[in-house]
Amino acid sequence: MVQSAKDEILGRLRAAPKETLPPRPYLPPLSELSLGKDELISKFTEILTGETGVVHRVKNNREALDKLTQVVKEEKLKCVMATTDSVIAPLNLPGWGKEQAVNVLTPKDFADRDSFKDAVFDQVQAGITGADYAFAESGTLAVIHNKDQARLVSLAPILHIAILPSDRIVSVYEPIIEKVFSNKDELPSQFVFISGPSMTADIQGHLFKGMHGPRKVIVILIG
Amino acid sequence: MQIKTEEFAELAKREVAKSRAYPSLKNAPNMLYTKRMVGMKTLPDVAAYQAYGAAIRAEALNRLPELLEEFEKNAVANGAKVVWSRNAKEADEYIVNLAKERGAKFVIKGKSMVTEEIGLNDTLNDQGIVPWETDLGEFIAQQMQRPPFHIVAPAINLTCEEICEVFMKQVDMKERTLDPVALGLAARLFLREKFHRASFGVAGVNVAVAETGTTINLENEGNIRFTKSSPRTLVLVMSIEKVVPTMKDAMHIVRLLSRNCTGQRLPAYVSMDSGPKRTGEIDGPDEMIIVIVDNGRSKLYQDTRAREALRCIRCAACLNTCPVYRQIGGYSYGWVYSGPMGQVLMPLLLGLDRTQHLYRATTLCGACKSVCPAGIDHPKLFLYYRSMDVSGAPYFKGKKRPSGEGRFFKAWSMALTHAWLWNLGVRLARNVINKFAADGVISKLPGGTFAGWFEKRDLPAIAKKTFRERWKETKGGN
Amino acid sequence: MKDVSLFIPCTVDLFLPHVGEATAFLLRRAGVKPIYHQAQTCCGQPAMNSGYTQQAKKAAKHFIDLFGDDEAVVSPSGSCTCMVKYHYPEILSDEPEWFGRATELAPRVYELSQYLVDVLKVEDLGATFNGKVAYHESCHILRGLGISEQPQKLISAVKGAQLVPMNQADFCCGFGGEFSVHYPDISESMVQDKIKNFIESNADILLLCEPGCLLNISGYLSRNLPGKKVMHLASFLASNGREER
Repeated sequence: MVQSAKDEILGRLRAAPKETLPPRPYLPPLSELSLGKDELISKFTEILTGETGVVHRVKNNREALDKLTQVVKEEKLKCVMATTDSVIAPLNLPGWGKEQAVNVLTPKDFADRDSFKDAVFDQVQAGITGADYAFAESGTLAVIHNKDQARLVSLAPILHIAILPSDRIVSVYEPIIEKVFSNKDELPSQFVFISGPSMTADIQGHLFKGMHGPRKVIVILIG
Repeated sequence: MQIKTEEFAELAKREVAKSRAYPSLKNAPNMLYTKRMVGMKTLPDVAAYQAYGAAIRAEALNRLPELLEEFEKNAVANGAKVVWSRNAKEADEYIVNLAKERGAKFVIKGKSMVTEEIGLNDTLNDQGIVPWETDLGEFIAQQMQRPPFHIVAPAINLTCEEICEVFMKQVDMKERTLDPVALGLAARLFLREKFHRASFGVAGVNVAVAETGTTINLENEGNIRFTKSSPRTLVLVMSIEKVVPTMKDAMHIVRLLSRNCTGQRLPAYVSMDSGPKRTGEIDGPDEMIIVIVDNGRSKLYQDTRAREALRCIRCAACLNTCPVYRQIGGYSYGWVYSGPMGQVLMPLLLGLDRTQHLYRATTLCGACKSVCPAGIDHPKLFLYYRSMDVSGAPYFKGKKRPSGEGRFFKAWSMALTHAWLWNLGVRLARNVINKFAADGVISKLPGGTFAGWFEKRDLPAIAKKTFRERWKETKGGN
Repeated sequence: MKDVSLFIPCTVDLFLPHVGEATAFLLRRAGVKPIYHQAQTCCGQPAMNSGYTQQAKKAAKHFIDLFGDDEAVVSPSGSCTCMVKYHYPEILSDEPEWFGRATELAPRVYELSQYLVDVLKVEDLGATFNGKVAYHESCHILRGLGISEQPQKLISAVKGAQLVPMNQADFCCGFGGEFSVHYPDISESMVQDKIKNFIESNADILLLCEPGCLLNISGYLSRNLPGKKVMHLASFLASNGREER
């Protein structure tokens, strides 16, 4: 019987000698672990702003919508797409959009991938999403993708607006990783860390934002 | 990709001359080297964090078969399909046949060194399927038909003039420009269409996690996220050594990779995929196939010393710190991988006989070893390969050295253990060599053995009285 | 007075004996008595670097037999010191008795500046020099042995001397033994960068602690820029920067 590639490869690997390795060395903890809530917010803001992200802090959902209204005026937005996650859904953005003369689409408006892609690539000027967590350690938004959180909404439009409660900001990745990946039967199909706008320095080392993804990231922190 | 490792000497000579003419070529590694230093400072203890990374990679390699099995089991449970390929041919054939079955006329590609190793783009092209590299640097290199100059920044050496020329012809750019931002925008517009219409995507894997069957990609541009979100079929290609035990281990590697590579705490995007999309999701792949590529690695794995080369996480810190790489750039190394990591890996994959220069064109300065987050001792591996040439070790195709060299070292080792013989040798050498000295300086010696030295430098004549002779005469200078 | 055993690299013995004599001179100044085993020849590095491990082992065993009982072995070379301290145990790892002897000897082998500053606790050797000097951090000295402060302390203690910073002081000069012979264009490019950085530092003399680097840089200067000076730190200190040969 012909051996499968898998058996051949694993067979060779298993037949190889094993080494006795020393135990792993001591790893000093990250300094961010000791930050209090306000420090977490300010460190998160400092680092993300350093990457040209814009961070606004508001008291509640009403103020979040006011801030959104302000952004729409500043960025001259006529058509946006919003996901339907646990932060965004309660805001009723389609309703708000009618008041602001902004066309608010959601992925659920589309029957299939292709029509959704047409809209998110060519029609909308901004994507509005929530974020499940954020990390002070690196000024990072963490987004779980699922049926209420389409992937392309925070990627294809030139502007990404993320809204989240400020108490979702934690210090370092590990506790969240543990939480998100704790149940092997319920892993998210994709979990993304966003630490600023899309960028590149591939041409002569010249850095610029907005290579393939958003050129600008605006975060609205609630609370 | 064509293998030109045997042309190293000529390629390097040409590149040295070029970098003399265009000193800005040295800027790229220098810029990344400087950024790295800044990024590393954000860690509480650089040495401890690097050492921990090395321990993770050492353990991952040591447990490789179990971890790969665990990875496969969990990836399949997530809904991914896992395909194993012994070599480039098997991997290429599988991917191309799948693309044909799916009716793909073109595929979008995220950056993947292993797909260059297996020559996937050529095979796709041969079968009439157009591969579009979407990482800006890879896209430019592809359009200009150049190999990668650097494993992380493949087109960093190319000028705006060169890029503009190519973009005018091939990328529908309407107006000439030398502004890197405008050039980038032209690429963005061109590739956006591809992202939008793609039905088949191929990407690499930075880290594969055994514990959960998750694959992780790091990027700044967003092209990999597009590749993993827009098309219905996604193929992820990984070589066998990419696996680590746990998600916690993966996070540590991600922290080290980001800082060592570009000095960032994190790149703009880190995306972690655990299988294809789930029911009800409107984007993401319907099917995800993970192709695990061996291509000579399980063979080299048998040697516990050589195995260390597989620890590499592709951060390119070694390239940016290598004084030789700075002078010769990525083309000189003749195949996919360049710099010290290429110098330790390619001889094992291609055979020592085809890669003689790769582990000899080094001063063993140790700069690479000193920055490596995976704890690879590059100089030690170079010496190991050289010793395999001397012993003619067949396993890695050691190439026997010229017999004169062997005879020389045999005589030399006899002389150095018998001082009278050594002293005689020194006196004879002095009599001969110093004939060519003028004013205590030798500018040339007959015979080609040391021609390389004298081409560029002088040498002092052998001292009329060596240290040993002077000590004896002056009774120790007393 | 304590005896200290001189480990004089073959490059110094043949081409740079004044560096060896300066080493002995400085050790005397620092209050120890240098002794010299006449039967010493070569540490074996050329053989190891060319892959001739068996021949390198012969050199190692000869060295260990010769120096094995010395309380302290001191060398004006980083690469030779590295060879004995770190590579001898490696290449002898398959011969337990020799491995034991090599490991036992290793801590007693020192590079010169390390021995003066860390063991003898001497930094001022009475040298004077009016002018600027720059320091090249040779690969085996810096990365192989972790030595960087010690030579700079010795330099800073020289009356009148000003140690100036030099760009990329820790970059390889392009010697690498065989490398400089077999890859002359790359090697030349590297030594040119080193010299460019030296000139830009405005130092009068470039100092270093490695005979190989010295032969490489001085050889290039001799051919191309005879006015610029490079010296081994030992010669500099022993001759107040005038380097009598």
